[in-house]
Order: sequence, then structure tokens, then C-alpha cells
Amino acid sequence: MEFPNHHRQIVEDLMSGKFVLPQERSFQVLKENEQSYTYFFKASFNYELKLTQDYAYLISDESNEMLSRDMCIFIALLSYELDRDGKNFLERIQFSEFEIEEIENYFTNSSYIDLILSNKQLKDTDSRKNFINTLNRRNIIEKTADNRFSFTSAHKFFMDFASDIVKYETAEKDE
Amino acid sequence: MIQVEPRTILRFLLEHFEPIHELYEIQVGNGVINHEVLDEILARNENHIKSQLLDYKILSPVNSDFEIRTVYYNLIEFILSEFKPMLPETIEKYHTSIAELFRKIREQLNGDKVILNNRLSELANEIRAFYEMVEKNTLSLLNETRELKANVKKIDYREKIVRASRWIDEYIIPLNKILDINHSASIANKLYDISEYSNKYRLNFDEESSRILFEKLYFQLIQVNDNLLRQSKILTNELLPLIERIRTESIILTGWITFLKNPYKRKVPRILKRKEISVYSASTFFNAAEIFEQFKNDTDVYFEDEQNDDEKWIFDKEHYTEKLRSNLPVKDFFNWCNKTLKEEYKKVEIEKFFALTTLAFDEDIEREFDPKADFEKIKINDLTITVPKITINKHGIS
Repeated sequence: MEFPNHHRQIVEDLMSGKFVLPQERSFQVLKENEQSYTYFFKASFNYELKLTQDYAYLISDESNEMLSRDMCIFIALLSYELDRDGKNFLERIQFSEFEIEEIENYFTNSSYIDLILSNKQLKDTDSRKNFINTLNRRNIIEKTADNRFSFTSAHKFFMDFASDIVKYETAEKDE
Repeated sequence: MIQVEPRTILRFLLEHFEPIHELYEIQVGNGVINHEVLDEILARNENHIKSQLLDYKILSPVNSDFEIRTVYYNLIEFILSEFKPMLPETIEKYHTSIAELFRKIREQLNGDKVILNNRLSELANEIRAFYEMVEKNTLSLLNETRELKANVKKIDYREKIVRASRWIDEYIIPLNKILDINHSASIANKLYDISEYSNKYRLNFDEESSRILFEKLYFQLIQVNDNLLRQSKILTNELLPLIERIRTESIILTGWITFLKNPYKRKVPRILKRKEISVYSASTFFNAAEIFEQFKNDTDVYFEDEQNDDEKWIFDKEHYTEKLRSNLPVKDFFNWCNKTLKEEYKKVEIEKFFALTTLAFDEDIEREFDPKADFEKIKINDLTITVPKITINKHGIS
């Protein structure tokens, strides 16, 4: 039985909850073998492979809900604060780098401070630094230096979630 | 009939532009100018120009209210560059008028030349009016979109989504269809046909005045088609992406704000739980406890030197050669080895057996071996070995 190139890398990355990104060689392999990998992950682990033009990742019934929620809160707060600051939040998240100091400014001066302080992973500078490292491990951001990072195309996963909230609400109202 | 010189009207417009502009804004907002509002504006500007406004036919009465006549309205709109986007349905009407004129020109090309020339002039006018309307609409849509982007009026995100969606679905996409030259039913496509047609007859028509009009129409259309292409590019390359972005941004932000209202009560996207082989596992504590428990009872442990009771066995070749010789002829050599050892020792080790079998390689021995004979099995302790049957008849010269 022959496996495609980078098979081990693909399995290791996806199984560790990483988003595989289009600039990685393994992404191309995944794209070329989408059907077999979908079957492979389903048959071996009962995981669902989600492959879009921006990222690939695995979905299981067993979800790390707390981490997902904290990620959503982090991106939601950042989007809100950027917009409040008069920035095009989507463009900034898509195309530019962030300094940790900038993030700190937004979070410490946010009107959502109660929410931030009650969240274990976002409550203070150290927690936020650790959380940013978690985002880095999952390939949601890419650290460009010790105190700088930029978002990867995996951020669209969360932006889609935000859009869906509005779509579902609108659909519910229409019903 | 206006009983006044044109210059007087223009001078009047210039002198009283402030209140007229104000009235224009009222009409833009409300559709009509309420008579009380009119009086209030005129009184505030200390102007008593109501009668002139009516005499010069700038205002016309609508029941008890008033409105600015279309010709002045368009003039003010034009000089202020304050166009409101028009629904594409309004622009679409030119499709009918242009197509109809073109059909009649083709059908009655060899008919009355005066009518033909009038139709050609009318067609040129309609095309000009159509283009101006498209240009005005693109400009106004761009202004509206940029205003929405800057959000000067601080409208909320949901309203932004509604507006952006409305601009896209009701104005931009239908307008783009009108301008799409590849679409057979578009006005742009019709203009292209007219351009081809006029190109043919500007060079090849008997009546000179008509030829000149065809030529004029042809060059007008070259210009108009270029401009329409530019407008179409503005729509698809600038306006549509810009307004799509506004819509997407507003939808996402509205989603996040809704989420942040109650982040712990909403379902969140599924993120894979990492499954790592960790140094620390659920059973680590118990495993560690088990190890430590072994060292809990601190009793002394003594080690004694191991004493080897077995003396090292040395193969006495001479002794066994003698024994073999005395037992000659031996019909089954390996069986003899086993039997001999068993007679001497309680337990026969395999090393002893192998040592004894070396006698078979003695040069002085005469061996007989039937290759067809079955192999035999000999059991030595727990080991069963399969050996051939070898007969020894003679040793040395005996």
C-alpha cells in the first residue's frame, strides 16, 4: 500500500488539531487526495476532514469547546476594538502584522473588560501571551518575532462562524 | 409662456441661489416642498420671491404644496453633482426607445430621408441621454458607497448590511447587466450593433445628409462604448468589491457583537481535541505510587554469592572411544550416545550429547549410512532432535 508524500506530516498536523494552510506542501497533497483522506480519517478515527481553499482541519464529535470559545472571544474582541479604533478590521486581520503591545492596549482598555477578566486564558498579559502561543501552535496565527504575529488564512474559519450567527438569526426571523 | 428674458431668470437664480438650494434639499428629502416650509425658508432669507419663483416656472404647485420643475431640479442636481442613484429600471427604458428607433431606421432606410435624418438625430440624443444617466448613476453609487464605508452618519452595522445589500442587488448588478456587452439583451450590446450598422452606411449611402448623420452617430458610439466600458470597469473592479467588503465586514462584526453579548451560551465551532502521548497520563499517579510503595518497607536485603555446584564437565575422548570400541558394532550411533550418557549421568545435557557425537568424525571409524532410511528422533531432556541412523562397524585396525 502506498501513501502520498508528506502523509505522516499531514496526519500528525491534523491530528494535533492544527490548521493545514495553502502555503504548506502537505496542503497540496491533501487537495490532490481529498477523497482518500476524507475516507481515511473517517474510517480510522471517525473524524471529518474539512478542506477549503483557505485551510484544512479535522472535526470530531469530541471538541475542545473551551478553547474554541476563547478563540472566538479573542478574535471577536480584536475585531470589535479595531473597528472602534476606526480601522478596517478585516483588512488588518487579513493583511497586516500585530504587535503584542497593540493587542495589550486593546484588551486593557476594552469596554468588555469584565468579560476579559473573567476569562482564564485572556485575563492578563501572561495568560494572553500563552494564549497567543496556543493560537500559533494551531496555525491560526504565525509568530513573526517574539512580540509580533500575523493571522493566517485559518482566521476565516472564525469569520465564517461570525457570519453564520447573523445568517441564522436572519433566517430565524424570516421563518 | 415665460414673459421674461432668459438672462433675468439666470440672474435671479444666481442672486437667490441660497434659498433655492435649500428648497432643492427639501425636495430631495421629502419629494415635495410643503407650503409652510416654503414660507418659512423665504421669510428666513428675507426674500419675497415666491411670485417670481412661480412666474419663472421654477416652482410649480402640487395641491397646496410645491415642487421644483424637473428642468431646474436637474440643473441644480447637475451643478451640485448631487445625484441620487436611479433604479436600473429607469435606465432600462432607454433600451426600448433606442431599439425602437434603430428598428425603424433599418426598416425604412430607403423611405423618407427627412424622417430618417430625424430618427438618426433622435437616436443620437437618446444614446447621449442614456450614457449621461449611466455616468450619473455610477458616480452617485460610488459616492454613496464611499459614504457608507466612512460611515459618517454613524449608522449601525445591521443597517449597513441592509444598505450594502440593496446597492448590490438592486442597483449595481442590474446596472452591470445593462452595460455587459456580452449579454445579448443588454443596451451595450444593442449600441454595438448600431455602431456596426452606422459604420456601414456612413461610407455607403446615397443621401449625403444621412451619411453625415451616420458618421456622427458612429463616432459618438465609439466614444460612448469606450465610456460605457470604463463605467462597467468601475462597477466591477471598484464599486462591487468595495461594497461587498462593506457588507462582509458589517455581517462579521454584527455576528461578533451578537456573540459577545453572551459568549458562554452560544454554540461555538468544533475544534479538534489534541490527542498527545503525554508523559503524564491518567494512570501516572497510580503507577508512580506503585513504584514508591515498593520502597516503603525498608527491610534489609542480603545478597549471597552464588555458588556453582556443578563442576565443569570435560569430555574424556579416550574414555568414550574405548567404550565405543568395546560395544562394536554399534547399529545406531546416536542412540548409543544417548544410552551411554544416561547410564553415567542422571541428567543428560545437550552439550554432553554433542560432545559425544564428535566421535563419529574420528578418522579411524568406519561408518555406514543408509540415505534412504528414516530419520530417528531422540529426546534429550526437553529437546527432541532428529538424527540419521549411522552404523559403526569398525574402529581403527581392530
